[in-house]
Amino acid sequence: MSGVLLYKSELCGLIHFLVADQTVIAPVPLTHGQFKFAAVTTLEEIALDAIPTLLPPKKYFLPPQESLLQYDTTQGEKMQAEVAIEETVLFGLHTCDLAGIQCLDMVFADRPKDLHYMIRKQHFTLIGLECNDYCDSSANCAMLFNHLPKGGYDLFLTDLGDYYFVDINTHKGDLLVEKSGLFVPVTPAAQDNLQKLRQIKTKRFKSEIPIRYQDIKPLFEASFESNVWTDIGAKCLACGNCTNACPTCYCFDIVDEPEFDLTRGKRLRIWDSCQHENFARIAGGENFRKERGDRQRHRYNRKFHYPMERYKQIFCTGCGRCSRTCMARIDLKETFNALIEECR
Amino acid sequence: MSRPTVAFFELASCEGCQLQVANLGEELLAILDRIDLVEFRELLTERPDGPLDIAFVEGSVVNAECEARLHAIRQRSELLIAYGSCATIGGVNAMANGRPISEIQAEVYGDQAERFAAARVRPLHQLVPVDYFIHGCPIYPDELIKVLKAALAHLPYNIPDYAVCVECLLNENVCMYEKKVTCLGPVTRAGCNAWCINNGNVCYGCRGLVSNPNRAGAEAVLSRYHLDSRLIANKMLMYNGALEPTDE
Ligand code: SF4
Ligand code: SF4
Ligand code: SF4
Ligand code: SF4
Ligand code: SF4
Repeated sequence: MSGVLLYKSELCGLIHFLVADQTVIAPVPLTHGQFKFAAVTTLEEIALDAIPTLLPPKKYFLPPQESLLQYDTTQGEKMQAEVAIEETVLFGLHTCDLAGIQCLDMVFADRPKDLHYMIRKQHFTLIGLECNDYCDSSANCAMLFNHLPKGGYDLFLTDLGDYYFVDINTHKGDLLVEKSGLFVPVTPAAQDNLQKLRQIKTKRFKSEIPIRYQDIKPLFEASFESNVWTDIGAKCLACGNCTNACPTCYCFDIVDEPEFDLTRGKRLRIWDSCQHENFARIAGGENFRKERGDRQRHRYNRKFHYPMERYKQIFCTGCGRCSRTCMARIDLKETFNALIEECR
Repeated sequence: MSRPTVAFFELASCEGCQLQVANLGEELLAILDRIDLVEFRELLTERPDGPLDIAFVEGSVVNAECEARLHAIRQRSELLIAYGSCATIGGVNAMANGRPISEIQAEVYGDQAERFAAARVRPLHQLVPVDYFIHGCPIYPDELIKVLKAALAHLPYNIPDYAVCVECLLNENVCMYEKKVTCLGPVTRAGCNAWCINNGNVCYGCRGLVSNPNRAGAEAVLSRYHLDSRLIANKMLMYNGALEPTDE
């Protein structure tokens, strides 16, 4: 589609315009250089320099706990599906997180379609924000080409000094630009500056791991029995932080929660994690991924191997959250390097 | 539906968990609508003696008197719910298990030690069958309600068997390890919604260890902060001193 410019002096006005009739979510600072997505009402609250947030934006599309339906057993098997949602703008999504949302879209639109996700998703407006440089050294976005915009947004902002270059990707984005009246047409100089920034970025962002995209899946096929998994298993505490923090992990459990009268209640969907001891435990007590190392191997294969088979797509965005959040210091880049070393 | 008869009992404990129940507020009214509460020391003076549908028992077994009371309660009640760490895992009482009993008796009671019989501290399930466990020091009110609903419906309650970290990250707390403070969250089973960390404290492990905890891995993490291994062991033992091999 087309582009426009937004002068930085108008950014405050844009947030003001957005909060008038919707919830606006953006990264806000925590302590110790950490950030989270939270509701904001003014520009001052927003961290424009945020590194990937503790939890990824999936917490809005696939809430950690959501009610799928209400049941009432006094009325036979009566059930009423429900989706709690309000019009929401997600502002300041980096390209890695946009890639993560695109992965979730693919999974939940796959058969059987997940209507809760799909209905909820329609109520979001996504506004991206480009990273001109790396967030930190945990990131591995460039190896997956996720340091550059690849769609999945309504509007996408690139900081070019006094103004943002704004790519309009959808009709929703177009309407927003039109209604707010804050954007101005693109100039040839701005086009030029955008090209220059992208050139600079090709120098700043280099594949963080010495492997080509097409060689990644074969690496995981070859390393299934590797000792690397045993070593990682010895360190891993199975805390599940790496999967909860991952923008493309979507495993969940379903539980019924009754009211005190025990006849009415809700059916809840809650996040689950393949790192938990009981995740792969089945009837009869058998556990087919009893070892922590097996579970970590599963996690990596669920990012770099299995989705390649099903969706022709790697399900790692390169956000680095799993490495940042791990108190046992199991680091994605180190794991790759160890596997590459061993399979050489 | 007739209301089930319910009683609350306490063995060796601070009765803090009973107070948590008394402090439930409006939820307590909803509960009292559904049950016939016949005994509760913090709230009622009656001490009836009849059969019970549900007995909540707080506290650990620390001597023969506790043991006899526990057996009597088990006899009277259809269901027995152990609530609070003292009852479910031994809790802080079980710190005593790390030293000879006679030594501790002498330290606490001096020359009167003989008058206070004491034995190895045990959680309830090491003596009688327990139908439901509500871990925590003190118990987390939301979990009490979930367990009570499960008990009323005769359904199992699945205690989360994953780390407190899960709930901690869902609350988007900055990790204590990021702040260079140690935390037992990674080896402690969840279910408290990371109550302590949400309030600026570390996790002390009051809900007991997750099944099959990675002790060596946890010690490696803790020792990265140059903590001596005895301190680490002490931290783990603060609540888990009554663990038997069969409990894991
Ligand atoms: S965050 Fe680290 S310790 Fe926790 S489950 Fe993941 S790899 Fe294991
Ligand atoms: S595997 Fe790690 S780096 Fe990749 S998307 Fe998940 S959290 Fe981010
Ligand atoms: S991982 Fe890459 S795209 Fe994501 S925030 Fe960091 S630099 Fe930006
Ligand atoms: S603060 Fe404690 S419970 Fe929370 S993530 Fe860190 S180690 Fe786990
Ligand atoms: S955070 Fe840890 S110490 Fe605190 S209530 Fe939960 S399990 Fe107990």
